[in-house]
Amino acid sequence: MNIRKLVWLEFKQHKSQLISGLLAIILGIAVIVGIRSISVVSEKAVAINLDNLGANILVLPQASNVDNYYAADVDAPTFPEEYVERIATSTLAGVDNMSPKLTRRIIINGQKFVLTGILPKNELASKPIWQNSGLFGAELKASCAETPVNEDLGYKDKKLQRKSIDSLAMYDCILGSSASQRLNVKDGETVEIEGKTFHIARVISETGTIDDDRIFAHLHTVQDLLGIKEQVSAIEIMGCCNAISDGLLGKLRNILPDTRITTIGQIVSTQIQTNKMMNRVSFIFLIIIIFVGGISIGNFMWANVNERRKEIGMFRMIGFSKNIIYQMLLAKAFVLGILGGLTGYVIGTASAMWLGPEFAGLTISPIPGLIFISLLISVAVSLMGAVIPAYLAGKIDPFNNMQEG
Amino acid sequence: MILKVVNLCKKYTHIDGVVYALQNVSFDVKRGDFVTITGSSGSGKTTLLLTLAGLINPTSGVILFKDFRIDKATDGQLSGYRKNNVGFVMQSFALIPYLTAHENVMLPLAIFNMPNSQKHDSALELLRLVGLDNRKNHLPKELSAGQQQRVAIARALVNNPSLILADEPTGNLDPSLSTDILNLLKRINEEKNVTMLMVTHSPLAAGYGNNKIHLVNGSLINN
Repeated sequence: MNIRKLVWLEFKQHKSQLISGLLAIILGIAVIVGIRSISVVSEKAVAINLDNLGANILVLPQASNVDNYYAADVDAPTFPEEYVERIATSTLAGVDNMSPKLTRRIIINGQKFVLTGILPKNELASKPIWQNSGLFGAELKASCAETPVNEDLGYKDKKLQRKSIDSLAMYDCILGSSASQRLNVKDGETVEIEGKTFHIARVISETGTIDDDRIFAHLHTVQDLLGIKEQVSAIEIMGCCNAISDGLLGKLRNILPDTRITTIGQIVSTQIQTNKMMNRVSFIFLIIIIFVGGISIGNFMWANVNERRKEIGMFRMIGFSKNIIYQMLLAKAFVLGILGGLTGYVIGTASAMWLGPEFAGLTISPIPGLIFISLLISVAVSLMGAVIPAYLAGKIDPFNNMQEG
Repeated sequence: MILKVVNLCKKYTHIDGVVYALQNVSFDVKRGDFVTITGSSGSGKTTLLLTLAGLINPTSGVILFKDFRIDKATDGQLSGYRKNNVGFVMQSFALIPYLTAHENVMLPLAIFNMPNSQKHDSALELLRLVGLDNRKNHLPKELSAGQQQRVAIARALVNNPSLILADEPTGNLDPSLSTDILNLLKRINEEKNVTMLMVTHSPLAAGYGNNKIHLVNGSLINN
């Protein structure tokens, strides 16, 4: 016989009370775990979808026109290329790739083309759609798409395998499919640009985007050619979706105050807002569980203490100190918390796995890390709920069993 | 001298005025005494017992258990005093309904740091002493009133106390069972040299004491 056994024997005695006392905490934890399980997978899905789209943040000079997101850099004013380094050295989380570029309209053989200076490795990484163009090199990864969960969501899709060429020679260029047709040139041939002969390193297959009409050359070659040294007209950034929702744009604006920073708002906003809403709902449930769960456990413990007044009085009479009475009741609350946390986790995860594909179109996997969070919340709520009843139990008159004679 | 009480007073303030539950009560108890405390209802018998147990703070006066000042002790010290020195036998038995007879006897040892096997054996030995070792796995509701009081007596002895405080131990028992229980208490008092303080209003029970205290309106009439 020891205190632990005494607590256990008392538990066994009041099984039905135990279940009713646990109900609120189990339901609260189950809802939090369910919502969180779905929202985590949903956030990852959005991150991967955004990753699939490529660059999603555009840094432009303050005076630029952003009516057309995809052509905003054409003939735009310029800003120093050093801004790329400024972002790179800022250790901002969620910046997966940066692609600085200088874009100007040029005329070749009497026809208008758009010449874009790029840093090839960075540019290719920010354009998943180029992955099918036959350009290969080192593999890159998006920071927010590295967990096993993401593999389930299709990260292994070939469109998301980031490949890049490491270099583009000084007078090499890459042509969009439409530009190559208009110039009537193919891979390996040459083209005259602003008085210099460029070797065509690759003609990109048709992408259906503005890139089809562009001619790409190394950024520093284009800067020299156009006489705009160490200046760029835009920096495309591949930002992690979660980081964008966590205020990446604002942080970039702080680093580059004299630029205009924009994003593919309509794509980002909808799902991110949904995820944010789910996170808010989780938070609201957390608040509810703290109040309702705490009150429920407190009520259960207080009823238990009241029912056992004589028993607790007898414990005090035979030498149990107040501290031991506190320990007994808090140990009971601790066990309740463990049971509530585990049961809530199991029910919440099972519900999410069942309802996720049905209502959110997402395959939900259990998130083991939520076990610890569930236990932490549940145990903390139980202990908070039990503090006052335990304190009052310590004040019970030990002589409840005696009558005045 | 195991217990010394000097000018013990306990007063309660009531809406109708001050009630003196104990007034200048003084007496000594020697080790091995069987003290009976008698008096009419409201005479202060139980108040005196509870004060000696450290469960009620006296208004004034001194209570010495060996060298320990009960009247000046903190709550923690009083818990330790009861844990190590005192056994209780109550009129209502005060057994825990969901514990077996054996577990009820072991209960005071739950807060002792000793091997479980030792706790188990001590409790079993005491159940044997009170003649209930064959009922060790019975719950209180499966025992008669007399058997329940025997379990309570075994529980009072399990911490090897030097003082047993008994509050009307035969109050809920019929005369023949009362005699059994009183004989058992007397035997324990003599064989184990345990000092016994028993509150009773029964002349039969009072007859078992070798040191008799009679209270009238909180005052000691004779000792």
